[in-house]
Amino acid sequence: MVFYLSIILGKLIVFLSQIFKIGTGSTWPGHLALLFDKNFLKKFFKKNYHLKKIIVTGTNGKTTTVALIKYLLEKKGYQVFTNEEGANLLNGIASCLIKNANFFGKIKKKVAIFEVDEFNISLIINEFLPEMVVILNLFRDQLDRYGEVNTIALRWFYALKQLSPKTLVFLNGDDPNLYYLGKNISFPVFYFGLKKEEMPKKSLSFDVDFNYCPVCYALLFYKKVSYSHLGSFFCQKCGFSQKGVFTFPLKDVCLPLAGIYNRYNLAAALLLLIKGFNLDAKEMIKLLKDFSPAFGRQERIIYQNRCFYLLLSKNPTGFNQSIDASLSFIKNKKNIFWIILNNKIPDGRDISWIWDVDFKKIFVVVKKIFVSGDRAFDMAVRLKYEETPFPLKKNIIPIADLKQTLKKILKETKENDEIFVFPNYSAMLELRRILVGRKFL
Amino acid sequence: MKIYLGWFYPEFMSTYGDRGNIYALSYWAKILGINLQVVTISLKDPKEMIFKMDILFMGGAQDKQQEIVNQDLKNNKGEYLKKAIENGIVGLFVCGAYQFLGRYYKTACGTKIPGLSIFDLYTENPGENFPRLVGDIGIKTKINKSEIVVGFENHGGRTYLKDKNLAFGKVIFGFGNNGLDKTEGIFYKNTIGTYLHGPLLPKNPIITRFLLEKAIDRKYKRKIKRKNFDEEWEKRAKEAVIEKYIEIN
Repeated sequence: MVFYLSIILGKLIVFLSQIFKIGTGSTWPGHLALLFDKNFLKKFFKKNYHLKKIIVTGTNGKTTTVALIKYLLEKKGYQVFTNEEGANLLNGIASCLIKNANFFGKIKKKVAIFEVDEFNISLIINEFLPEMVVILNLFRDQLDRYGEVNTIALRWFYALKQLSPKTLVFLNGDDPNLYYLGKNISFPVFYFGLKKEEMPKKSLSFDVDFNYCPVCYALLFYKKVSYSHLGSFFCQKCGFSQKGVFTFPLKDVCLPLAGIYNRYNLAAALLLLIKGFNLDAKEMIKLLKDFSPAFGRQERIIYQNRCFYLLLSKNPTGFNQSIDASLSFIKNKKNIFWIILNNKIPDGRDISWIWDVDFKKIFVVVKKIFVSGDRAFDMAVRLKYEETPFPLKKNIIPIADLKQTLKKILKETKENDEIFVFPNYSAMLELRRILVGRKFL
Repeated sequence: MKIYLGWFYPEFMSTYGDRGNIYALSYWAKILGINLQVVTISLKDPKEMIFKMDILFMGGAQDKQQEIVNQDLKNNKGEYLKKAIENGIVGLFVCGAYQFLGRYYKTACGTKIPGLSIFDLYTENPGENFPRLVGDIGIKTKINKSEIVVGFENHGGRTYLKDKNLAFGKVIFGFGNNGLDKTEGIFYKNTIGTYLHGPLLPKNPIITRFLLEKAIDRKYKRKIKRKNFDEEWEKRAKEAVIEKYIEIN
């Protein structure tokens, strides 16, 4: 009885929050349902045993990968639903179930893809066993909240051990930490990665989080590097290296998403669709041409006839990747960049990581850099300390307030100009609210 | 005026953005007219290099990386490092590096890892049931008593000084060495050990310049003339941290 009441009450909250446009619909219904009945999720999935449940986690790329899998499955006629971005804890998952179910707690759709917070994957697996799990990568992110990468890796190891041997697990084979994790699990794991020819770098950059051999602790040797510590690695001391990694011919594919990190997201999605749904990689790649990015991820927003290009940049590796992506589609050398750095709770309080981002290469393509957010002046100092012939002090404009900055940018630009924006998480939401008027599309 | 900055194990001990300290030293060296050469000192480099340096720096990392580095220090470079510090080399050792230089570190499971015993202090992690000491921190240091120095701390271990008078600073807000006795870090001879990430130097040019001036003074017996420096952004960045603290209280 409580089960049905939870669903009715939850649906009412979803309905009201949609009418009044308050942003509580993505977590509150589930929060209450779990409060009334802590076995809500277990009961729900028992009732909906037909559901194929996919979990996607990792530091960067979760939202895009979920969107890619959903898009391609729907193209093939599957009915799919996902949790809302940011609602990636138990209450968010419960909420999205309530939203998609009828009043009897039944869901017609066949596939559920959940983006799961990397810290809480164990909590989720305690509630239900997914049919498939994808782990994209592991970089340092919000050290003050999540802890160091090895702590997270250990949590994932214990979480994966709880799974049934029937679960299909997909790990990034180019991440030595994740590859090693997979090797220590007693059931088969599938690895995705990139072809060595597609890896652009010869050596590691500064934002690496795992550069030693997980077996013997010697410094790892890289034949080629994709980005951060992802690449083709081997240990000269004990011979540890990756084997059996699935790669796809992505080099000449024209993707609607720039950046090598999105090639990994796509490789993960393709491997899951092949192994889990018997779909054909070539056909999937063809279907991709109309895919449009999730919000804030290389999203274009037109505001006052200017194009704001949003590149979410919330940790050192993500920021470096956003910079590389922007450089790949920049057309001239006089661009306006806008970096927004907040340190609200969802961002992590500690902003030390900005010193591990490599900014030097942006100075050759910018005219002015606007810097805003709670910690605008930390970012301004970060840029000021770079050694470059670019006249830093004159062309970096730090203003904490977003709206004020926006006014200045409008003055500085003309119609049809492009502005490249690098916000971290809460900054991205804040800016979207200003540019689009609402939190979500 | 040329000085050498020895940066210990950058590929391992750089988890918390401490590269910013190198940026800050390089930037201010240029302003002060000092030719600063940054030299990395890592596993394969000879220990004799340490004696050629004028400033030493080491950041913090995760347990596994610290273990790798600790091996090299104990078996190889530690003795030289100790001599250099005792001889008055200018140094900055942050978080994990700071703990290394003490007598021992007791891990959360109770294992005692011996340190280099350069600083007379010890560090104990009280176990999984005790929270890590995480957050913004403000201290008043021995270097300039009128100015607050700010940073960000994130450590499980609690450090206790034998002689509290040797503390690098007094805690104004945040936890410091152990969250109890209001001491932060250590200032021993010309070397600073501290929990302050942030990183420490970019927001606190007063400490950055102190390290550079001290190194010049030691090597060339010369004082650097004080000028009016442009450090408005650094000040505003620091104020953002202090304002947050005032807001909460």
